[in-house]
Amino acid sequence: MIEFGHVTRRYGEKTAVDDLSLAIPRGELFALLGPNGAGKTTTIKMLVGLLRPSHGHVRVCGHDLVTDSRAAHMHLGYVPDEPCLYDKLTAREFLRFIADMYGIPRHLAAKRIDREIECFELQEFADDLAENYSLGMKQRLVFAAAFIHDPDVIVLDEPMVGLDPRSVRIVKDLLKARTAEGMTVFMSTHTLAMAEEMADRMGIMVRGRLRFLGTVAELREQMAIESTSLEHLYLELTSSRTTLRETTLAGDE
Amino acid sequence: MMAINSASTTATPPLSIERESRLLLWLRTTTASHLIGTMLTQARLRVALVVLLSVIFWVALFGLFFEAFTFIDSMHAEVISLLFNVFFSSLMVMMVFSTGILMYGGLYTSEEAKLLLTCPLRPEAIHAHKFQEALWFSSWGFVLLGSPMLVSYGIVRDAPWTFFVMLLPFMVSFVVIPATVGSILCMLIVAGLPRLRVHAISISIGIVSLGLIWTVWTTLQSTQSETMTVAWFEETLSRLTMTEQKTLPSWWLSSGLLDSSLRGETPAQTWASTVESLKFLGLLIANALLLNLIAGWVARWCYRAGYSHLQAEIPQRRQRKISWFDNLLAHSGPRWGSPLRLLLVKDLQIFRRDATQWSQFMIFFGLLGLYFFNLKSFNYTHAYASIIGYLNLAVVGLILSTFTTRFVFPSISLEGRRFWILGLLPVSRDHIVWSKFLFAFGGGLLPCLGLVVLSDSMLSVPRNTMLIHLFCCSMLCSGLSGIAVGLGACMPDLRESSPAKIAAGFGGTLSLVLSALFIIAVVMTTALPSHLNLLRRSMGQMPSENFLGFVSSSFGIATSLGIVVVLGLLATFVPLVFGVRAFRRLEP
Repeated sequence: MIEFGHVTRRYGEKTAVDDLSLAIPRGELFALLGPNGAGKTTTIKMLVGLLRPSHGHVRVCGHDLVTDSRAAHMHLGYVPDEPCLYDKLTAREFLRFIADMYGIPRHLAAKRIDREIECFELQEFADDLAENYSLGMKQRLVFAAAFIHDPDVIVLDEPMVGLDPRSVRIVKDLLKARTAEGMTVFMSTHTLAMAEEMADRMGIMVRGRLRFLGTVAELREQMAIESTSLEHLYLELTSSRTTLRETTLAGDE
Repeated sequence: MMAINSASTTATPPLSIERESRLLLWLRTTTASHLIGTMLTQARLRVALVVLLSVIFWVALFGLFFEAFTFIDSMHAEVISLLFNVFFSSLMVMMVFSTGILMYGGLYTSEEAKLLLTCPLRPEAIHAHKFQEALWFSSWGFVLLGSPMLVSYGIVRDAPWTFFVMLLPFMVSFVVIPATVGSILCMLIVAGLPRLRVHAISISIGIVSLGLIWTVWTTLQSTQSETMTVAWFEETLSRLTMTEQKTLPSWWLSSGLLDSSLRGETPAQTWASTVESLKFLGLLIANALLLNLIAGWVARWCYRAGYSHLQAEIPQRRQRKISWFDNLLAHSGPRWGSPLRLLLVKDLQIFRRDATQWSQFMIFFGLLGLYFFNLKSFNYTHAYASIIGYLNLAVVGLILSTFTTRFVFPSISLEGRRFWILGLLPVSRDHIVWSKFLFAFGGGLLPCLGLVVLSDSMLSVPRNTMLIHLFCCSMLCSGLSGIAVGLGACMPDLRESSPAKIAAGFGGTLSLVLSALFIIAVVMTTALPSHLNLLRRSMGQMPSENFLGFVSSSFGIATSLGIVVVLGLLATFVPLVFGVRAFRRLEP
């Protein structure tokens, strides 16, 4: 479903993402972790087509994001870290706009708009202009818009920022249900507990390179640390003291 | 959660270009209708003022152009043609740059572009969507300025009805051409020269601006004849014939309009002229459409690539050190004034590092300075110079009022948003309001006084008049700063983070209106006695017994200055006192 093939992205002299190769199959929830400046945002920008790789390719459902971006975007849903909406549209109008953009027939679009409004509990303010929404309300609407065309792949950049605990629960349940139906989720997050709870696999990026790829159990195994938390493993892996181990862990993949 | 087994997106083909365009058009009309609805319900004062001022502006321009065209109608038709060519070619150059800059913001830095680029839309559809927006913003001024001019010309020349019908198609097809050129240049520069784009754009704007200034300068200055004489006009106009190039869209527009305004002796002759003008209209439309097609190709070819290039740029890290002036300001003076001085230093640092603020300040005051500097080219009598001196004083005040409304008024609201910083510091809330006032007053006073000195020097007004102007200017700076800061503290908008939106609200509009009334009151109060006094001295025939005699006397001038002091103090302290009280009670 998602394929990064030897992807490198340079910003002038600096290499933000260095030779990233990664394949995420259908129905997997993948969490990308890493400290600030590790290259997560660059990776996500390349995955949603906002940034082109300096080398390599990024494909979604077999469509290259550079040469066949429209076809790739038909399969993608994207929830950015900062919700971007039209202030002068209501939630219902915004959802209709997104549904129309994906060519969903009117009768089906109406059903899906109602479905997303109900799912994300947007009923109370569905006909208010977005300029009056709080951050959490905006974020819920962006989620609804990302799911409205039933994408094969959904990309989430820090998805829980601004959401209240109830909304977080809704999103978690939804992600589990959709991945069970075959949707692929690519999620960037700093919330280690969520990654541990939700992700089938996780990748840990440090300074543009993928240091680790696998499950938490595999991480424990590879780092030879028994019965410790993901937080401890993560901090151990991303600290400067682990430089000797990095080749071992990344080279395993 | 509801589960719907629906058709997958893989089964839905991407939209056709027509459907994409219709969808984006629906988006624009829906957002526009909501915007108008919101404005009509929440910002009636602002809407009413904008409409009223636009109508007044249009009618005033119409009257001005009507008189001007009546005056020069007796002259040779080539003069009109030349004037049209100069006007339209200047606008054409300005529109290339303004649309280019607007497109840069719309296509590459806006949140909307980011959203649309992550959707299955064609880049040319996104370009067309953003182009409509940029075209509107860059050309409404042309329509507002050009329509009274052309309507008055048609009436003066007794043009056939077809002239008035064709005005709008002519104007629209014309503005599309430079706007599209600006858009194409913008995309090519960003895609081709991403690292050098800022330098490239700055250098091109600099070169064109210098070229225009040089052209105007040499045109006005290098004539051998005395200014404002027939010979001077002829020499000046002959230098402007370079705008009559037949390959320029501005020439097609002016030629088409002149042809369509001709009323022949017979209907057949009138029809022949109309057909000629239709050919020019066709030429404009054909070129506009062709350029739009090219813009679509360019967008398809390089918009996404350019966006990616731009995303890949890292802003240069600049280490900022505290300047000696900031240190001096922060640490000089008594200890009790330290919080006030520290707040002033903070505002000064933010102002210096915010290019939006100081660049607009520099551009407007620079242009005004350039205009004042050129006043010497014209020889005025003393009475005329006195009137122009006061008008210039009013212009300086109006420019300052736009800055106080746009930048000073929202500053209190923005401080309110940062209340978690200032609220925890051992700084009195009164100090925050007073520091804003001192910053606005100090920052505006020196450049405004400099401009007034320049204007009066160029006009060679008497020293006493210059002193009166400087005094009024100081009062204006104080009053305008007081109005903006006081109202800003009385009516803060703590939810909004954009200073432009804060300034565009009710409080900002009220601040602008009160500022304008204050300027008119101050300038009229001093201009009338001062001007009458000058007339009396030069003519020596004004009776000293009646009211006008009293007004024009030295005592009258002194009284007017006293009234200005009262007006200045009221404008400064009344809003500030209310503002300080309101800010003390503010609960962020």
